[in-house]
Amino acid sequence: MPRSMWNGALSIAGVHVPVKVFAATEPHTPRFRELHAADGAPIEHRRVSARTGREVPFDRIVKGYETSGGHYLVLTDEEIRAIEAPERKAIEVEDFVPAEQIDPVFYDRAYHLGAADEGRDGFAALLAALERTGLVGIGRVTLRSREQLVAIRAGDRVLRMSTMRFADELIAPAKLKLEEPKKAPSRREREMAAQLISGMKEEFDPAAFEDEYRKRVEDYARRKARGKAPELQPVPAPEETGDLLGALQASMDASRKRAA
Amino acid sequence: MPRALWSGSLSFGLVNVPVRLVPATRDLGIHFHQLDGKSKARIEIRRVCAKEGKEVPWEDIAHGFDLGKRCVMLTDDELERLAPDKTRTIDVETFADRADVDPEQLDHPYFLVPAGGEGAARAYRLLADALDRDDRVAIGRFVLRTREYLVAISVRDGALALSTMLFADELRDPKDLGDARIMAADKPSRTAVDNAVKLVKALRTDFDPEAYDDRHRKRLKRLIAKKRKGGEIAAPPEPEVPEPAPDLLAALRESLRDAKKARA
Repeated sequence: MPRSMWNGALSIAGVHVPVKVFAATEPHTPRFRELHAADGAPIEHRRVSARTGREVPFDRIVKGYETSGGHYLVLTDEEIRAIEAPERKAIEVEDFVPAEQIDPVFYDRAYHLGAADEGRDGFAALLAALERTGLVGIGRVTLRSREQLVAIRAGDRVLRMSTMRFADELIAPAKLKLEEPKKAPSRREREMAAQLISGMKEEFDPAAFEDEYRKRVEDYARRKARGKAPELQPVPAPEETGDLLGALQASMDASRKRAA
Repeated sequence: MPRALWSGSLSFGLVNVPVRLVPATRDLGIHFHQLDGKSKARIEIRRVCAKEGKEVPWEDIAHGFDLGKRCVMLTDDELERLAPDKTRTIDVETFADRADVDPEQLDHPYFLVPAGGEGAARAYRLLADALDRDDRVAIGRFVLRTREYLVAISVRDGALALSTMLFADELRDPKDLGDARIMAADKPSRTAVDNAVKLVKALRTDFDPEAYDDRHRKRLKRLIAKKRKGGEIAAPPEPEVPEPAPDLLAALRESLRDAKKARA
């Protein structure tokens, strides 16, 4: 069983429900080590003074905030930690909002909230209430010395918590100034695009998508280690679609053939 | 317009849309530099070959893939050729209902923008409008640097919004949480649930993202301002976990009264 990373309370208008926080994700990104291509030796990261070029021992390194070009204000870790001084170890829920009003783009990192030994009835009652109302709690909690905005919603016998991005951190689509076509897509093109999408639509099954590239890299690395690396083909450049209608028609024909 | 992180082609069926990938977030965090505590000089990270002791330029660095007993060296070129069709193309494999994609699986948000020309703009508009009309999402993948990304593409205000996704094996199953999960024995009384419902409804409001500010960022700015004036900063006491109410129902009733009063 995974270990909880934080134990505290979920506090709603004076009601405290004890909870345990667990990470809901575990990245499996392949970790590469940096090597010197010429001799295969490992690369070391050395911290050197920009002024003298000499290495600086780790315990002499401090954090500096640049106040103006080349001038720094030194801040200690204790001072930075001191800015977060929560009154209590709790997720302070401020509001409850309808789940469908939150664009998923606001959700950042995912966690699970589990019940502690005490106060399980309160946890179960809150979970049932969120299930019944479809509401999501918005609150704040200090995790890893930093206050986070979080959303809490009902999950499968647990509560699900996500840290949230702040509104000013998101770039509005209007800022993109998208280039619009001079000639809008025709009705025929729209109909065919809708049909193509419907034809390719499936019930989404996350488990159906595996990290194929990770596997291919691992397989290639194993073969290369035995001196049997297969020859790899150069990468072809993709072609732009000139005839949109023709490409839509050909795609539909191809997907019908696959389905047959 | 934000700078492109990648450019290539979005392909569904036999239709290729030339696109550029741009960030959907801006970094407003307050950043620090590493300094030498003694001389206050900036610290630079130098990549040095462990054998020769000499600095190695970025383009001469290869990737070591760890096989446990030994480490195999792979070059950028080999990594690119291992995914020939995926480094230049986001290949849409399927379409799904937007509601079927669990937000927990979404990782980082970006936008796709058409990469110049009438043809690109037209194919882009066609796909965006078709997805938007039926609230669909395109599921595809591509390879960026040394990593394959599963992506979900939906529409936000007419623009194609791309989110990288976690693979299913990177999501933890809540079933693994053991007795931290609510069990059949934890059946709350009807009154307790009714009171909890009343409580959350009393605090119900519409979601207004602008109403929540990043207080951590603000406090950091305040700390910097204070320190520039020569102020001293004291360490805070450790926070305590609040006690759960011995009588949940009584606490819920009391909170409900307070919440109603606060909203009134």
